[in-house]
Amino acid sequence: MPTANPLSKIIVLATVLAAGFLLIILSCALFDNWLPLLVVGLFLIAPLPNAICEKYAANDDFMQESSGNAVIDFGRYITGILVVSGLALPCALAHSRVIGLPALFMSITGGLLVYGTIITFTMFFNETEEF
Amino acid sequence: MSSGPKLFRFPIPLPPLPSSAHVRSAGVYLAGGLFSLGFWFFLDSAIYSKKYNGSDVHVKFVDWIPGICSLLGIIVINSVDKARLSSDASFSFGGDNVAWKARLVLFMGFALLAGGFAGSIVVLILKYIVPQYPWPTVYFGISNMIANGLLMLSCVVLWISQNVEDEYSYSLSL
Repeated sequence: MPTANPLSKIIVLATVLAAGFLLIILSCALFDNWLPLLVVGLFLIAPLPNAICEKYAANDDFMQESSGNAVIDFGRYITGILVVSGLALPCALAHSRVIGLPALFMSITGGLLVYGTIITFTMFFNETEEF
Repeated sequence: MSSGPKLFRFPIPLPPLPSSAHVRSAGVYLAGGLFSLGFWFFLDSAIYSKKYNGSDVHVKFVDWIPGICSLLGIIVINSVDKARLSSDASFSFGGDNVAWKARLVLFMGFALLAGGFAGSIVVLILKYIVPQYPWPTVYFGISNMIANGLLMLSCVVLWISQNVEDEYSYSLSL
């Protein structure tokens, strides 16, 4: 696993990402109800607060001691909010019978696949950067 | 743990926390997740009331007031710098009694939070239980109560996990 070819890693990640998008778009298109597409948006912007806040805390020298931690914590808090929102939105829609149960499962699985791909990809990048 | 002042009369073996930095970040993520879960519980009842409602009772602005109070309480509590709470005697800059002001603001925050939770119970009882509505309608009130409870829990988890890292050595005494 640690000696895997980076190209094959990228190809696998891209396949998983495409499968996630496929699942979400199918969950919308099969039932002609495009509300589950919001899940993609939520999971796509979920890694952003962490990235922005870490850059902000790393750039600012005056905020090393206490406020830098607060900024990083804020980013993590927003990340937690967004990830759980991505899971809870289709559940709430399914509870109100706006979407059906198959659409619920497909959109949640697809959203988790997309988010997992993004997280794995950023971890992969950080690994190579530190060498 | 063994050198500091003891909390309990008998030495109670506590499992050691794995690593305070990891516990801290996990706690912050968990707090965000709990907040989101509470918010979505309430939003779920609002969507249900709008889209799939058999009765005439709907989620109105009255139901939103406890949640707004809890949200304001969370904002107030988390914008206070925790280090100002006990540092009155050692060094006081930016005013004479910062700790006193910090405690006052923090008290208002907790009052807002607890008021939000109490208000959600009031809405549940007065709007849904006293008129004796059947189950899917009572769910609007119950979800409101669950939502405010989860918001409170999120605030508690965030507070605890922020204190974990500040006190590296005796973090178990929490």
